[in-house]
Amino acid sequence: MKRTNSRSGFLAIAASSLVVLSMAGSVQAENSGSVVAAVFPGSWEDAYRTVVAPIVTEAGFDITISPVLAQDQVGKMMASGGKPPYDALLVSPGQTAMLKAAGLIEEIDPSKLKNWDLLIDSAKTPYGPSVTVEVNGIAYNPETVPKPTGYADLFANPAFEGRVAWIGFGSNTATMAWTEIAKINGGGADNMQPVFDLLAKNLNKIGAIATSGNAQMTMYQQGEIDVFMASTGNVARLRSLGLPADFAHPKTGSPAVPVTIHMAKGASDPDAVYAYMDAAISTTVQAQLAEAPTGYIPTNSQVPFTDIILQFVTPEQLDNAVFPDWETIGIHRAEWTAEFDRVVAK
Amino acid sequence: MQKTTGTIFAAPMLMMMLLFFLAPLGVLAVFSVLGPDGEVSLANYRTFLADDFAVGVLFDTILLGAKVVATVTLLGLPIALLYWHSGPGLRGLILIATLLPMLTSNVVRTFAWIVILGRNGPISQSLVELGLSSRPISLLFTETGLVMALTQIELPLLVLPLIAVLSQADRRLIDASEVLGAGRWRSFLTVLLPMLTPAIFAGWVLVFASATTSYVTQSVIGGARLIYMPRFVYREVGILFQWPMAAAISFLLLISTGIVMLGLTMLARHRRLAAYA
Repeated sequence: MKRTNSRSGFLAIAASSLVVLSMAGSVQAENSGSVVAAVFPGSWEDAYRTVVAPIVTEAGFDITISPVLAQDQVGKMMASGGKPPYDALLVSPGQTAMLKAAGLIEEIDPSKLKNWDLLIDSAKTPYGPSVTVEVNGIAYNPETVPKPTGYADLFANPAFEGRVAWIGFGSNTATMAWTEIAKINGGGADNMQPVFDLLAKNLNKIGAIATSGNAQMTMYQQGEIDVFMASTGNVARLRSLGLPADFAHPKTGSPAVPVTIHMAKGASDPDAVYAYMDAAISTTVQAQLAEAPTGYIPTNSQVPFTDIILQFVTPEQLDNAVFPDWETIGIHRAEWTAEFDRVVAK
Repeated sequence: MQKTTGTIFAAPMLMMMLLFFLAPLGVLAVFSVLGPDGEVSLANYRTFLADDFAVGVLFDTILLGAKVVATVTLLGLPIALLYWHSGPGLRGLILIATLLPMLTSNVVRTFAWIVILGRNGPISQSLVELGLSSRPISLLFTETGLVMALTQIELPLLVLPLIAVLSQADRRLIDASEVLGAGRWRSFLTVLLPMLTPAIFAGWVLVFASATTSYVTQSVIGGARLIYMPRFVYREVGILFQWPMAAAISFLLLISTGIVMLGLTMLARHRRLAAYA
């Protein structure tokens, strides 16, 4: 009996060791010549999986597209303790500032990107190339509501009562809209109190307060809401699904935000990350992503604005876009998030 | 000797528990008592408990769990009894209908509820068609809608233990009760219900734990205005990056739901209740 026990024990230990060793082996294999790229879920994920990933594979690297919201990328990077879960990050300036401050991304060597010189100047940042500029404004259903003239109209015009969805400060798109609304009402990037007062006064007129941009898109599809704060890309996506959707530029200016790829500090294979960055800014990829359904504004100077982009934004409108003060926003974002929850909670 | 062999076979599971549950829980506990400068303090717990809004969120979360337990019981008990009284064909159908939702992802089920609860969904349209409402209504982002969705999602957690007990139950006990003069309700309350009590408590524990921690359903169906503890934790981790505070909130949720579940378990093991089983 004793021998049987020893044998069972030995087999259990041997089997456990084999499992652990095989797991370690597979992790090691994944990290060799490969890049784990964090990408926003939804249309970004689809586009990067189908358009960018094949080019990286052609260049001889494995790529894993991991759908994660910008703010979650920062959270996971901060929790990683020097072993980043992603090799490449895709974020907006709000998150870039946080990642830089925490020392979680590193400066890149542009000489390793053969498409670097094709970028417009504003897309060349020391921490990586910007792959598009998202222009934000108001998405609305032209069949059910009039075209909004601006943010103030959404609160003042009875036609929008119960039809507009908003989200909190966890979202970049919402944060930009709230900052503009604060300015209209006498506040700004360092004073959000007018927004909270406005919200408290109008809570019963608001259609919905969702938890994410994707939730808003779903609600729009279901006819639950007719208006929400969105990028031109969101509207292009809704149109590609056959839904009536239009984009309104607020009269105070459309907030714009570059979207940039960063290299995580401690990336397992920097060459793979460079191959990924190079693919994302290449003429082939940017030309394809500038078409429907994505309609991303190109940062590659050789790619013209396509018809789908020109339906929403012209180069002149882009020149007049509002670029928010992300450093100031970053300082206050946490307190605004907490206060927003208190104001809107039922 | 048999006991020793059993321990060896249970060792991998115990090891998994230790490595992937107890050890992270220990780390979380340490995190929760870390102050801003890395010193050990209960400041995070004090901050949370001194905040009326935060305590309100904790209370709402427990209340949500209680509401879902109540509705699941009201719906699940008749389904289980129907199963018991049915022939093989209907039994199979009930079992498939109960199990089928469990085979789909919680996320998919939750998104299906968006369609059902929405302004253009079947509930709203039925109310308008029946003349019970003059215009389409949306149950999305309401607590009623959330309780409905969670009830359907958690229903199998109560129905399956009930079916398991009823499958073993001796029908002659009910016959004997009726022969001795008890009415149907009395037979149910004095014979059947005591037999089902352990299964009901087991189901309640599962439903309560699952409903109070169901982040996806709470967020998607409840929206941003109904705030429960899981989203509160997510906010501290993912947006505010206040991990010690998030750990403290997680522990408070664990303790609160743990107390409720412990109470239910103790009740289930109570001498008088357990004696019937």
